[in-house]
Amino acid sequence: MTRTFAVSLIIPDNEAFTAYETLARLGVPAARVVRSDIWLFEVAPEAAETLASSVAQIETLYNPNKHRLVERTSDAPEPGEVWVASRDEARATRIAGRALPGVTGIRRRTSWRLLDEAGQDIGQSDRDRAVATFLCNPAFQVAIT
Amino acid sequence: MTPQVAVVVFPGTNSEDETLRALHAVGLEAELVHWSAPESLARFDAYVLPGGFAYEDRIRAGAVAAYDAVMDPVIEGAQAGKLVLGICNGAQILAEAGLVPGTAGVRRPTAAFAPNASGRFQSVHVHVKLVVAPERVPILAGIEPGAVIPGWASHGDGRLAAPANELERIVSDGHLAFVYADRDGNQVPAPNGAALDCAGLVNRAGNVLAIMPHPERDAWTYQHIDGSRDAARGDTAATLAPSGGIRFFEHFARAVRGQVMA
Repeated sequence: MTRTFAVSLIIPDNEAFTAYETLARLGVPAARVVRSDIWLFEVAPEAAETLASSVAQIETLYNPNKHRLVERTSDAPEPGEVWVASRDEARATRIAGRALPGVTGIRRRTSWRLLDEAGQDIGQSDRDRAVATFLCNPAFQVAIT
Repeated sequence: MTPQVAVVVFPGTNSEDETLRALHAVGLEAELVHWSAPESLARFDAYVLPGGFAYEDRIRAGAVAAYDAVMDPVIEGAQAGKLVLGICNGAQILAEAGLVPGTAGVRRPTAAFAPNASGRFQSVHVHVKLVVAPERVPILAGIEPGAVIPGWASHGDGRLAAPANELERIVSDGHLAFVYADRDGNQVPAPNGAALDCAGLVNRAGNVLAIMPHPERDAWTYQHIDGSRDAARGDTAATLAPSGGIRFFEHFARAVRGQVMA
């Protein structure tokens, strides 16, 4: 089974701000850019119960002083969200050099969300343009919506 | 008229000084130009984008820099035929800017120097071999067929990645300029897992070259990994003598001078 976790910063996200500045230069009307790391774990059912606590103990992935860790209910992007992944990603079995009990595969995506002044997702055409021109290099990445 | 070369510095660039030193060593007038001064770039005859981690490799290596305002005059210069050399992070920026291989247009990348197959930063001494006809790389004027250049592959994102049809076009249209090789010029597997064992790409006109390994870090004997460094030990002049990497810059200098004279 697949278990999905999102890790985002609770301190200022410099990378998201840099993306915001570049997108502004490209004329994309986003007032705020939100970025998260998405981790998808293929895990044996008997190990799924303890996976969240195992993940929370990997400090290179999640530090409670600067990150928020949320378990998602779906292994697909939420509405308005774009995930960017490598086309040729090899499925890992270790994270930060550590194996997790019952985990047989680990995949990583970068989640982007582009919001307007009201905190709503910007229009799909603007989002698609942001993805096509900057957030995703189609030479080796794929955008998942 | 003395040609002027700009070494473009982004926030996060870290190889500007040794690049500048190599350019000066081959007799070029070169100076650093920071990203905050794009208006000063137009007067230069050629541009070098050095290695480093522009914008901390945020989003993707080279992606943010490719859209920086300082790249506008570099792109305009490249389109006008000026010489543009990108080394390591500079190569990543040129790929993200769509200048190499340049098959789809400006800021429409069709290839990338993606994360290494190992998933880790690697720093190894390498050689690269010219695999196109010298006429395809006028940016390296006078370079001999099959030239072998030493350098340091020092990057976390140096693996050429592109769709299969684009890789075919890179080969068939002569964009694959350098591959990894041993010191005798025999092609070897890329240490980063790059497709085609690619170490360098050139655009259609041959005035824009992106090379991943650093020839400026093997410009003097004390930086070179073979018997010559050990043989020079204790001999200051021999230790500080130019090594193979400086030849790369000699060809670039000849091209810059030739372009200005033309």
